[in-house]
This record gives sequence, structure tokens and C-alpha cells, in this order.
Amino acid sequence: MSSKPQSSRSQRRPLYIITLTALFSLSSAFAATTISFWVRTDDAGFVQPLVKAYNDTHQDVQVKLNLVPSANFVAKFGAAVAGGAAPDVVATDLIYMPAFAAAGQLTDLSAQIRALPFYNKLSPSHLRLATSGGKLYGVPFSAEGSILLFNKDLFKRANLDPNKPPTTWAEIRADSAKITALGGGVKGFYFSGSCAGCNAFTFLPFIWASGGDVLSADGKTATVDSPAVRKALTFYRDLWRGGQILRSAKTDAGTDFLNAFASGKIGMAGSGAFAIGTLKDKYPNVNFGVAFIPGETGNSSSFAGGDTIAVPKGSAHAKEAFDFITWCLSPEVQVQQFAKNGSIPVRTDLAQNDYSKLDPRFVVPAEAMASGRTPYSLVYNDLFNSGSGPWLKMIQRAVFSGDVNGAVKEAQASFTRILDTQR
Amino acid sequence: MRTDTLPSLNQRPARRKFNRRAGLGWLFIAPCVAFVIVFFVVPLIMTAWMSLFSWPLLGAHRYIAFGNYAELSRDPTFWAALKFTLLYALIVTPAIFLVAFALAVIVRRPSRAVGFLRTAYFLPVVIGLGTASVLWVWLLNPQVGVLNAITQGLRLTTDPIPYLDSIRNALTTISAMIVWKTAGLTMLLLLVGLQAIPTSLYEAARIDGANWWQQLVRVTLPLMRRTFALALVLSVTGSMLAFDQFYILTHGGPENSTITAVFAIYNASFVSFRLGYGAALSIVLLVVLVIISIVQLYLLRDDTQY
Repeated sequence: MSSKPQSSRSQRRPLYIITLTALFSLSSAFAATTISFWVRTDDAGFVQPLVKAYNDTHQDVQVKLNLVPSANFVAKFGAAVAGGAAPDVVATDLIYMPAFAAAGQLTDLSAQIRALPFYNKLSPSHLRLATSGGKLYGVPFSAEGSILLFNKDLFKRANLDPNKPPTTWAEIRADSAKITALGGGVKGFYFSGSCAGCNAFTFLPFIWASGGDVLSADGKTATVDSPAVRKALTFYRDLWRGGQILRSAKTDAGTDFLNAFASGKIGMAGSGAFAIGTLKDKYPNVNFGVAFIPGETGNSSSFAGGDTIAVPKGSAHAKEAFDFITWCLSPEVQVQQFAKNGSIPVRTDLAQNDYSKLDPRFVVPAEAMASGRTPYSLVYNDLFNSGSGPWLKMIQRAVFSGDVNGAVKEAQASFTRILDTQR
Repeated sequence: MRTDTLPSLNQRPARRKFNRRAGLGWLFIAPCVAFVIVFFVVPLIMTAWMSLFSWPLLGAHRYIAFGNYAELSRDPTFWAALKFTLLYALIVTPAIFLVAFALAVIVRRPSRAVGFLRTAYFLPVVIGLGTASVLWVWLLNPQVGVLNAITQGLRLTTDPIPYLDSIRNALTTISAMIVWKTAGLTMLLLLVGLQAIPTSLYEAARIDGANWWQQLVRVTLPLMRRTFALALVLSVTGSMLAFDQFYILTHGGPENSTITAVFAIYNASFVSFRLGYGAALSIVLLVVLVIISIVQLYLLRDDTQY
């Protein structure tokens, strides 16, 4: 944890020097402050080297990492804050920030964050979700942006230009039909039909890019019952009915979110920046391209995801905690740790870097993130993330059962009921 | 799992004097009583207490009297979940009983194969339900699952069977999985009941000219009422508290059609983070379960002495 007391170099030295050395070492050991840092287990891959790098270069402050299972993160965090055992720093899915902040669980960091020299270069969606009542409670920690993956080899085989990914829904439909026509188990499109979170990430952008939304700007009113939502659902419905999507997509709760595309038999699928690194590492034979998720007649959008890092209320080391957070945003971390290991930087001014130049496919999600959106809601989990929530039910009823109208009306009512019970 | 009080075997007249034997008796049951108080009575009281509050996971709670109960009476998802749970219990309980009784009859008499068969039938019981569910997720997987590989390999089907893609398929598949998983335990209970019937009764029945079927219907079944009551209460309670298999195999889908009562409680508490509301749902489920158990015990009451 801290530097070990140096053993005396020579027996001939007077005793007091040894004593002084020992005392000095001891005092420095006491001076080393340990801050606890909670992260969800999903992030272990990039956070463990990050914390190690910090501890190796900082003698005064040491970070103690605690990995919390993603599914229990909110429950454990809530219990810890209520029990007065909150960690000093916490990084979690940005969508929980409005609820954490509104419930008074976080320390107001407005002044410190606004004083950062790169403040206006931070991912705007992260900052918006970390804002509550005009105060800022956190900064971006890791970034994700949803994008459209397409298989260049299948595009070539179907006589499509592998450098011209679709930019409208009509083009997706046409390209998908040509790819499905190749036969042999090849399908043009894919989405995980039983995965709520996957579809918030990859289906919402289709709605946004077409000028629609499912929540009002303040996140308090449901706007599901609208033409853009109906059109987007009908778009998926037509792909499903036309046999453009694997039958098994219906029951895929996320296990095949990337696996299906990685099989090399899928033409196009919504995904995120994480997929680029995984595909390159584990599926080098899949020749893929990365495109923006298009709107009905053009335009594009993205779900800006990732984690936000914040200081829980009651931290005894708020200053050290913020120093650590600032260090996480420095180029040495954002470029040398994140970009180098295949994730995208949270600072828009670092989107173009030495590593993104090596693979321009990383630039798409970085730009998608910068212009991306994220629903602001205190009840995001109920509405979108829950496998038994109204968002997934609407998609299943519309796409698989074909009742677009009924699905939209039911979702509008369920969204409204949940928003009304907001605490 | 909860334990319900069964009719006691024999009623003793109340002793007038407190004596050392009684004191010793209390001492012997003290660990059990302490266990029940700490892990059942106290949490139950706390749950009932919490159900009177708006108790978010994050932030402060506030007293709202019966507000949660008023809300749940109007909550369509909870009543749909309760209805689905009853349907599931009605399907799965007879299925478990039929299979378990058949298995118990098979392994009733000692023979060379019986030891192996008893172990084989009981083996799924010792796997955790969550583990068993994950196992079945992969058995049923359309791409790499063994079951589809078999049916497609034998040319019985050309496409993967969508085991979980509708409420009907999901309910059938999960019921089959639960029968496989729990029939062994019910078999064991029924086996104990079967073997408790004195052989002299069968001898008497044979002397009276009763055939195998008549012995089963006139001797075995009536004398197993008490065993049936125990096995039935355990099985129905287990079915009414079903959660793991649906959470893991269907996630409540498709279109939220397979959400059980406990699943609804989980959603309220750990998806919506409304602990008070989840507590209220738990109390309602507890009341429903107590009523169902009382009805079963009343219907299968038995005062026969051997």
C-alpha cells in the first residue's frame, strides 16, 4: 500500500539516524491517505490497470478499488450511503446519476468541475445527466456511443459498396434484403429482442435521428405515442416479418448482442464502441465497418452511454477524491490508458489521437458520443432497463406480435403511470 | 421456504405443574426458537412495518399509512403476476405429484437397481434452482443447445424449437424443467409415507381378494393423506414462490407474460427501488399463501391412528 520503511544501510551509522529514518518512514506511511473507489464489475478490465497506474505514481494518496456486481450496484450503494459507509469515489452507469443526485446521495462538485480547463470538452450527455437542480455532481469516467456495425465482406458478396454504409432506413431495408438473399443462414439485420438495455442503446437512436423521442426534454412526460416511434417500430416490424432477422433474436436477452454479428453471418447490427475492440481481438476474420445509426430519411443519432464518476455524500476525503477524478481525465489516462486499450476518450478534444489514427473506426463512436443523447429520468431503470419494463414490452409487442398501435398506446400509459409515481 | 404447522400427532393433556422435564424441553427447542425469531419473526415484523412507508432505496423514507396497499389494489401488473403464479402452481403441482408418485412406486421395494434409481431421481434436487436454470438456458439455446442439436440431428425438426418464445411454450418448458428438478424430493416424501403403511393391511386386503389396483385406491391412497398434505403444502408453496427459473430463463418475457408474484416483488424493490411497496406486496403474498395452506390442510385433515 505505502512505501516500506527503508532498512538502515549501515550498522556504523549512529542510532539516531536510524531512528529518524524510521520515524520519517512511519510518518509518511501515516500521511498516505487511502480513498475507496467503487466500480461495477463490467469495468474491471480497464479500471484495474488504471488504479494500479495511479497507485504506482502517487505516494500520498492510494486508491483502494472495490468491484461491485453490476446488477447489485445501486442496492449496495444505497445501503452503504444509508449506513454511513459510503465510498470516497464512485463510478457508475451515467443513467443512474439523476436519481442519485435527486436523492441527495452525492457531493456538489459544481465549482471544481467548472474550473477544469477542459470543462467544455467533456462529454455533454454525461454532464447533462450529472446535473440536478443546476448543480453538477459528476464528470464522465468512461464513454460509449451506439453505432451501426456492418459486415464489409457480406456487403461485397451482395454487390453493395462496402465503403457506403446505409444512411436512411430505406437503404437499410434494401441492403438487408440483398444480404439476406445470399442465403446459407445469412441475415441482413439483427437486434436482441429480449434485451431491454441493448434496445435502449441501439433502437432509441433510430427514433431520435428521425426527430422523435419517448420522453419530454425535462424527462417528466411520456411522448411514446408519437409518429416517429410508430414509424421506427414499423421499420423493425417489417424487417422481422420479411425474414431479415434471425428467429432466435426474439428470445435473445443480450447473450448474442455481439455474438450474432461476430458469427459473420449478419449484415448489420446496432452496437457500441466496445464491439470494435472485441471484434478486432477475438474475431479477426470478421471484416467490419462502423457507421452512424441513421434516421428515417437521413440524419443520425447515438445513445451516449458509459460511466460517470462522482463523490458520494459523506466522503471524508473529498479533496483527494477530486484530485483522483481530475487525474482520470488527463490525457495520460484518456489516451495512454483508454484509447490505447480500445475504448473512447470522454474528452471530445482527445477523440482524434495517436491510437484513433491507427484505426479510424474508433472515430465514429467518439463523434457519435459527442453528439449523442441520453434520456434524463429518475426512473430510467423502470422505464428502459428492466427486462419486464414497458420499453421492452412495447418493442416485443410491436415487432413480434405486429400490434404497433396497441403497443405504443400501452407503453404510453405504462410510462405515464411510472413517471407519476416518481418519488 | 416456509414451514407450516401440521396437525400434531397426539394431543397431550396440559400439565398443571412446571417441572424439570418441561424446563429441559424448552432448553432443547431454544436454538430453534431463537432461529425462527431472528430469521423469520423479526424480518416479518420489519417487513410489515416497512410496508407502511414510502421507502426508496436511496434517500429518506416517510410514513404513508396504507398508501402502498391502496396502490397495489390498483396495480394491474401485480394482480396479473399473482394470476400467472396461480396458473403455474395449478399446472406444475399435479405434474410433480403424478411423476413423483410413479417414481415412488417404482423405487418402493428393495431390489438391485433401486439404490441407483433412487439416487438418479433425487440427483436434480441437490442442484441449486438457480444453477439448474442456467444449465437449462444452455440446453435450450437455439444455436448451441443440446436439445435442439438432438432434435435436428434426428431430423425431427429443421429449425430450432423456440422453447421460450410464447407464454404457452415458456410455461410448458419451465414446468417440465421444474418437474425434473423437484419430483425427486416429492418422491422421497411419498416414499416415506408409502413405507409407513403397515404390511399387515396389505395382507388383510389380499386375503379379502383385493387386486393391485384396489389395494392402491382403497389402502395406499387413503392412508397417505397426511403425507400428501405435507408434500402438497411444500409443493404449492414452492410454486407460489417461484422466481429463479423465470428470472433466469424468460426474464419475465415474452411481453411480460411470465412474471410471477415474487418476480413482481423483486421488480418493485430492486428495479424500481421502492422497498416499502415491495414490502406491501410481500405481505399480500404471505396472506394469500397462508390462506391457500390453511385450505389445503383443512381438505386433507386426517385423524386416523394406525
